[in-house]
Amino acid sequence: MNPSAIYGWLAHAIVFGALVSLLPLGAKRRHVGLAAVPLALLTGIATLLHGFAGPPSATLLALAVWQLAGRAPSPLNDRPAWLVIGFAVVFYPLALGLGPFDPYAIGYQPWPLLLGSGALAAALWWYRRNDWLLILALALAGYAGGLFANLWDALVDPLLVLAAVTVAIRQLARRAPAGGKAAG
Amino acid sequence: MTLPRWLAPMLFLLAAAGATWRAPLPAAPAFVPPPAAQADRNPPSFAAALLPTAAPSAHAAALAELADGRIAAAWFAGSREGAADVAVWFATLGAGGWSQPQTIATREGTAAATRAYVRKVGNPVLYAEGSRLHLWFVSVALGGWAGSSLNHAVSSDAGATWSPATKLQTSPFFNISTLGRAPPVALADGGLGLPVYHEFIAKHGEWLRLAADGRIVDKVRMAQARRTLQPAVAVLDEQHALAALRDAGPGPGQIRAATSADGGGHWPAADALPLPNPNSSVALLRLHSGRLLIAGNAAGNRNQLLLWLSDDAGKNWRLARRVESDTDDLVEFSYPALLQGRDGRIHLAYTWRRQGIKHAVFSEAWLDGGPP
Repeated sequence: MNPSAIYGWLAHAIVFGALVSLLPLGAKRRHVGLAAVPLALLTGIATLLHGFAGPPSATLLALAVWQLAGRAPSPLNDRPAWLVIGFAVVFYPLALGLGPFDPYAIGYQPWPLLLGSGALAAALWWYRRNDWLLILALALAGYAGGLFANLWDALVDPLLVLAAVTVAIRQLARRAPAGGKAAG
Repeated sequence: MTLPRWLAPMLFLLAAAGATWRAPLPAAPAFVPPPAAQADRNPPSFAAALLPTAAPSAHAAALAELADGRIAAAWFAGSREGAADVAVWFATLGAGGWSQPQTIATREGTAAATRAYVRKVGNPVLYAEGSRLHLWFVSVALGGWAGSSLNHAVSSDAGATWSPATKLQTSPFFNISTLGRAPPVALADGGLGLPVYHEFIAKHGEWLRLAADGRIVDKVRMAQARRTLQPAVAVLDEQHALAALRDAGPGPGQIRAATSADGGGHWPAADALPLPNPNSSVALLRLHSGRLLIAGNAAGNRNQLLLWLSDDAGKNWRLARRVESDTDDLVEFSYPALLQGRDGRIHLAYTWRRQGIKHAVFSEAWLDGGPP
């Protein structure tokens, strides 16, 4: 069995555990989330998720581990979430066939992406976002280790976009009542 | 706990160095040029027979010539297309005729090898590379064929046993919608160019450049004004190749074309071939004589299977033979695969009424043998 298959299977179990730990289960929710990881492996949930969604990105895996470790707040807060959404709005339609240019192909010979990640790393270091700098390092390490054939797959995936959309919706929902009071 | 400020950038630099080391830097793409054209000396001949039945419903045959000269065929078959019992079957043609088919890819085996749920399998592609026999096939976890992922396995004993399947990462969207249908072509760097296609929302051909170790090092879109599927590629020389594509509509279609003038680096659309295509798969082959041969359906339906020849690298085409014909529009002779053996004989395999796979073998002289 190849390492990519094992990675996708294990990573989905961790993502599932992180999702469970988000349920309103009180003080025990992190422990329930941790218990959900082997459960996902044993019951076939991870296999099912891996079949439906393909391998999760290293970014999503890092956020899931962050969640399961009980570290708060998540690095995927408002601004990064909107950046992910903005990227996805452009990237996925082009990659799925809108027009002749396929940005996904760049990830197979990812020299421009590596240059871009260097610039991004410098900005993250400047703004003291060590959390995202570590996540970026993990994604590059996943690519370097052969877990991903395409660097884009190490960086982003549709489930990460879904998580970002959830964060953005929650942000908008928080702002809505505040706006109502100001208007009144 | 607060991490020292130098730790994150240090880890990033290490990871970036590793990624830079792994990022491929392939040479400019080039095809292995076909051998110099040689006239075929086989006398006119034609024979056809159904392959042994594997299951009630069969579709999408692929062909390859093994190192020992036997012809190998793979196709998918089961109780019906898309059913859970569908598997990829394999048989070889030796001196004693076709062997009994054996399964070489099932949904259970693929799911176990890839640690991912599989609902159905389909569309095999075979390619013999020395003593190695490659198999690509699609698997689907959710939805129809548009949800396909591409899998790869290799046999080192002429198809008797196969490596566990690995799933190729070819799409950023849940790794879906990459399908194969036609065989790859050899590249000058020892790799392969595999024509594939995408059919989730948009429908277009794609070109996967594989390194000698099987790793994907490039992906090129075959953009067309119309929806197209299932490219089949014939190499003309070191830099030039022609791709023939299924016209996925809307409306009546023609075989669509794309050409590459840079070894597969780009595949701009070319004028459609003057050949009909009722939204059905075509096979394209460069013969040892240098002529091009296409197998496909007539206009309207899939109830006629035709062969067309071009003497001028695809500029002009003429109908050479009508292999199958039925007056019933619902009858299907489709999804052809073409191969020319080292002995010069041409092999054609195709879906026969969805009930089985039929194999025809003929000479180039038979193609020239008179009006269809």
